[in-house]
Amino acid sequence: MLRPHSLLATILGLALILAVVLRPSGASSQTATQAIEIKVDNFTFSPAVVTVAENSTITWTNKDDVPHVIASTDGAFRSKGLDTDDHYSFKFTRPGTYSYYCSIHPKMTGKIIVQ
Amino acid sequence: MRDVKQFISTASGTIQQDHNHDGIDRRGFLKCMAWAGSGALCVVEAGVLKSTALGAQLGSMKNPGGSKKLSFVQISDSHMGFNKPANPDVVATLKAAVNKINALPDPPDFILHTGDITHLSTPEQFDTVEQILKSTNKEVFFVPGEHDVLNDDGAMFRERYGRNAKGAGWYSFNQNGVHFIGLVNVMNLKAGGLGNLGSEQLKWLEDDLGAVKHSTPVVVFAHIPLWTVYPQWGWGTDDGALALSHLKKFGSVTVLNGHIHQTMQKVEGNVTFHTACSTAFPQPSPGQAEGPGPMKVPSDQLRKVLGITDINYLARRRALALVDSSLA
Repeated sequence: MLRPHSLLATILGLALILAVVLRPSGASSQTATQAIEIKVDNFTFSPAVVTVAENSTITWTNKDDVPHVIASTDGAFRSKGLDTDDHYSFKFTRPGTYSYYCSIHPKMTGKIIVQ
Repeated sequence: MRDVKQFISTASGTIQQDHNHDGIDRRGFLKCMAWAGSGALCVVEAGVLKSTALGAQLGSMKNPGGSKKLSFVQISDSHMGFNKPANPDVVATLKAAVNKINALPDPPDFILHTGDITHLSTPEQFDTVEQILKSTNKEVFFVPGEHDVLNDDGAMFRERYGRNAKGAGWYSFNQNGVHFIGLVNVMNLKAGGLGNLGSEQLKWLEDDLGAVKHSTPVVVFAHIPLWTVYPQWGWGTDDGALALSHLKKFGSVTVLNGHIHQTMQKVEGNVTFHTACSTAFPQPSPGQAEGPGPMKVPSDQLRKVLGITDINYLARRRALALVDSSLA
């Protein structure tokens, strides 16, 4: 037999869970997915280090007069040669730190931190 | 290495001399006339430096003794497909380079292309270069630049130019008593690093040189400089020093590179390093711009900063002479 105050506690508990789940999106910036742009310009990635939530998509756009190739150091992702104004996007579905570089200009390095 | 001197040619024509014993009883002069907008001439003659006027030196090469045995031209960085403001017409400038080659008073025996044949590794870009170079009627030896191996780890390059090559496309051949070695330093580049030869290629190089007499002049050509020009911009090769260590026993070594789209020279003991101009667009001097990208110059100045390199081997005088000529 369920006691009345236990039932009340259960109802309050469910309400709290619903409040968390249904809270306005503006308040959940720590966990929401993002779409982030990284500019490849003058042989640098900017910003060079980006921290995003799981399932965020990063898009690199080449603004240089020469091609670049976006490649993770562990082989997780690699673009084709990107000519001027070409884009490359990758969705990061797992947490972790992803180091990447331009495979033809290896002095160009960057990092994506997925939380 | 003892008595290492470096000189980088400038408009002011600075010349340094290197009186260096290399243990092979070779002592001579390296001649260098730094360019004044139109060309540079350096002659390594038995290890000692000399300097003379360009015209006078060219005249002396055609001496009646007929000592000239071998002549070849280096072209580089044709970047077929590039169409940005730094040069909207790389077809025209490559054709100008071909015209320059075809007009040389001493026709070359063959041509070396030190990479970045194309801008984006497409079959059409490779085809265009091939068509333009055909009119030289000369055999062309290639090594790839990083722009030639963009999307397929160099498979298309090797299909076209590396059928008889080893590994990623390295090879050697002998011509008129000179041993030529084409190396590939644009593959498997490591994050944060420079150009890369790799252990397999270095082992091959060591074995290849094992069969060459130390008195044989050796010419090594590769895309990225094998010496460290400016590491901040990636202008060097991480394991280039290892390659050079296999060349120490040779009396005359000439290293020809491209990639940096400007002429530079350095002499270190028995080794002369030289980089060629691009036929497509210039790049800034090391550290003289925010980055190493294509440099826009006034359109009427463009052909003065593009060019070819003509190399002559004078067997009797044990010399390799390098002449840089602009397309202007």
